[in-house]
Amino acid sequence: MHPATEKLVNELNELPVAVAACDYAQRGYHYEVDVAADQVRALAECMLKHDMYLVFVGGLDVKPVPRVVYQFASYTHPGRFVVRAAVDENNMVPTISDIFQGASWHERETRDFFGIVFADHPYLKPLILAEEDVDLKPLLKTEEALKDISEVSWPAASDVSSKPEAKNKAEQG
Amino acid sequence: METAKEQAAQYTLEPATDIPKSNHYYLNMGPQHPSTHGVLRVLLEMDGEYVIKAQPVLGYGHRMHEKMAEHKNWMAFMPNTGRMDYAAALPFNHGYAALFERLCNIEVPERAEYIRVITSELNRLVSHHLWLGAFLLDLGAFTPILYTFDDREQVLDILEDITGSRLTYCYFRVGGVCKDIDDKFVERTRAYIKRQRERFKVYNELVTGNIIFLKRVEGVGIISPEMARRYGATGPVVRGSGIAYDIRKAEPYSVYDRFDFEIPTGTTGDSLDRYLVRLEEMEQSLRIIEQALEQLPDGPYLGKVPKKLKLPTGDANFAVEAARGELSYYLVSGGGDMPYRLKIRVPSYSNLSLLPELAQGMLIADLVAAMGSLDLVIPEIDR
Repeated sequence: MHPATEKLVNELNELPVAVAACDYAQRGYHYEVDVAADQVRALAECMLKHDMYLVFVGGLDVKPVPRVVYQFASYTHPGRFVVRAAVDENNMVPTISDIFQGASWHERETRDFFGIVFADHPYLKPLILAEEDVDLKPLLKTEEALKDISEVSWPAASDVSSKPEAKNKAEQG
Repeated sequence: METAKEQAAQYTLEPATDIPKSNHYYLNMGPQHPSTHGVLRVLLEMDGEYVIKAQPVLGYGHRMHEKMAEHKNWMAFMPNTGRMDYAAALPFNHGYAALFERLCNIEVPERAEYIRVITSELNRLVSHHLWLGAFLLDLGAFTPILYTFDDREQVLDILEDITGSRLTYCYFRVGGVCKDIDDKFVERTRAYIKRQRERFKVYNELVTGNIIFLKRVEGVGIISPEMARRYGATGPVVRGSGIAYDIRKAEPYSVYDRFDFEIPTGTTGDSLDRYLVRLEEMEQSLRIIEQALEQLPDGPYLGKVPKKLKLPTGDANFAVEAARGELSYYLVSGGGDMPYRLKIRVPSYSNLSLLPELAQGMLIADLVAAMGSLDLVIPEIDR
């Protein structure tokens, strides 16, 4: 692990978030982070402090509540973070567009496609979709297609330390 | 519907100067403006010839590729990937094919990886040819596009022979590529490399030292490394600002780790730096192709792939260096043969999102130069 990534992970562990190391060869990113909506801003500030850049913000419609997916990476060393934040009871997540200005468009797009509201976003107007399609929310799943978060995650997501190795062995055997 | 004035008034960037509001007027640049390449509209609040606020308005070319990905099986979506960035479709093919190879543990024959690298780099050259000609055309120089398109045709002919198309390629398959390259291809590519090296001299004589060109781009549209990071800019934009970040080196995929090439960087992050970086990148692409042709192994060009691919449950990401920067496919799968969700992170999207901050206080003529130097492809942004 790169020392800069190690420092970041240590600092993330001080926040009330769940950080799990992943097998890069299998998933294409290094860390998976689960976070509650109210910790998103603290996490983004931590990422900014440690020289990460924002790759994208997107949505994921799952049961019981939709998730907002953030991805962070670094210009200087390998270390890719996938962050999943569950929306709160009002279908809201706080904006990070004042921390990472690049998030502004991504958040507007996620509002277009999923109807997730980014609290305190300065200009949450439709970006990609037309003004009149504000309630279209095209990427929301139908009742039948909607899956539980556990059905779209790698198995045994709770078992942090042994997961990638165990998974590989199971595949080989 | 709001009027343009109301829309602009709600936009929250603070004006750069305290000019009395009464002098301001609003101007739509695009969606048919020749220098917005495609259908981008930029809503400008102007004071005389100075830009007070610039707000890009997107979505004119939106096709909802992400939704289509959820309703087609993994193979049927491949043609869509070539229709986002029409100027450099092969890296988009590459990322998508490699994503499934990663997720399903599919082995790709070595020859196929080499073919992918060679054709992707040729496609990068094509894309930079297009950008070079169009950028200089935006700046009022008509001649260079005639030269760059002449060279571009050479590469397009080579690619057409093996891929069957000239623009929206669908050449890669999960597990390899759909057609092998032959001796004729190798021979023509070698001849092209030789020719292109000669042509760089022409480009430099015609453009790089030209005083009119330098006056238009030097010190215009300066992006600091810190600003690039806040917006998530990648590719030649961030390299122009002096950060040597290239996915081909940072997270080597395919066989890129076997080649000796450099990441060109700029110093000030102005439009001239981005121009120089792209020009140098073309030379580096030639170097990669040369080495790949040298090392090209024999063998199959398409690996063994099951007819019905069953995706495991879970998520995976695959990042590649497209012609404009980092392209990431992030796939969430719930089993079956269709993605549950496919997020496509395109480079121009983040690169353009820094325009409002970049454009503040700029002359409108400089805005054309700055936007041209970002190398935008709008259908890629709108998806």
